[in-house]
Amino acid sequence: MGHKAMSRDPYAALGLKKSATAAEIKAAYRKLVRSSHPDLNPDDAGAEVRFKAASAAYDLLKDPATRARFDAGEIDASGAERPDRKFYRDYAASAEHPYQRTRGFQGQDDPGDIFAEFLRQRGRGGAAPGGEGVAWNDFATRGPDLHFSLEVPFLDAVRGAKTRITLPVGGTLEVQIPPGTEAGQVLRLRGRGGPGQGGGPAGDALIEISLRPHPVFRREGDDIVITLPITFDEAVLGAKVTTPTLAGPVSLTIPKGASSGRVLRLRGRGVVRAGGGAGDQRVELRIVAPRHLDRELQAFFESWRKTHPDDPRRTLFEGMPT
Amino acid sequence: MTRYLTQDEVIAALPHLTRPRLLAFIAAEVVVPVASNSGPLFRDIDLARLDLLCDLADPFGLEGDTLALVIALVDRLHASHHQLRMLASALAAEPAEVRARVGASLLAAGRASDR
Repeated sequence: MGHKAMSRDPYAALGLKKSATAAEIKAAYRKLVRSSHPDLNPDDAGAEVRFKAASAAYDLLKDPATRARFDAGEIDASGAERPDRKFYRDYAASAEHPYQRTRGFQGQDDPGDIFAEFLRQRGRGGAAPGGEGVAWNDFATRGPDLHFSLEVPFLDAVRGAKTRITLPVGGTLEVQIPPGTEAGQVLRLRGRGGPGQGGGPAGDALIEISLRPHPVFRREGDDIVITLPITFDEAVLGAKVTTPTLAGPVSLTIPKGASSGRVLRLRGRGVVRAGGGAGDQRVELRIVAPRHLDRELQAFFESWRKTHPDDPRRTLFEGMPT
Repeated sequence: MTRYLTQDEVIAALPHLTRPRLLAFIAAEVVVPVASNSGPLFRDIDLARLDLLCDLADPFGLEGDTLALVIALVDRLHASHHQLRMLASALAAEPAEVRARVGASLLAAGRASDR
């Protein structure tokens, strides 16, 4: 729904005649903001369409130069609207709302108490008996939570580390990254947010972790996954090779006749779980052709191919269109 | 995972937002970006809030404490509205006779306050 009819005539959208003065345009728009802005009228389902039309019209008419060009027919009203715009009210129900300090209902002990608690909250502020007897701690407000985003090197997140973040107001905050921290995890440092008012407690610092990828290690659940290059001869004959792990190099046996894509599992070499135990490291083999193909090797494979016909792609064509 | 925009990206994304205005909003604490070691970052909710702040700042000439007051009231409006919706959806899931009783009680309360 593009709502084109309204945006054709910005004067009509604001309920004005073409002769309207700049002051009348502004006054009409202010009135429409009050009655149609979705954030001032959260109950009104039609507000968004009305407000978008009004603000597109106002954008066209508020600047005398743009208005003159529109009046002269040099520009039209198309393209002034932003169909993709999201309104603040669309986030009102989001679980981690950074601008809401009190959320939902309270009543820890008995769910049936939440209505009584709701009424008590209202009563407290409303009926302060004149002058004396105002309890100051009724004004105690918890401080705001402060939000941080912190990029952590992969290995620091997996193994745990200590780091620090720079606060926007100056100074730094020490952060303990627990072992096994995942991307998107939010660390909460109690009492390290903004100060409270009237003796209220400080808010929390919430730190969302993102990971700087590692060139070798990847993480899948509690497993660490790596791709390990091996040579032709190691694949054919088998070999004992060294693979990196989180805790340092470890010796690994490549079985005879291993193909690319084969996964070997090193038990307990993955991410250490908080409750004890650890994931595995999965090593995916990848056969790498020799960098230099010498005459001897080529001669060998030419004769070998003649005596060992094989087609590993044979089964791919079963039941396929020909 | 949360998508973040830098200060430059936010200014480019919002037609009514200029750099001085964004800095004024941050100074007045009407928007509180996510802090990071590479500078302030903005979530989708911050973008929607900045759009709203521009809607209020532009035609009404609001700024500083006055703007902070209005946005605080909008936050309360949204919080109350959200609570009301949760309450309504909890009641909508109740059996018909509960809904009828609560509905009758609400209508009676409305009539009482009309007088």
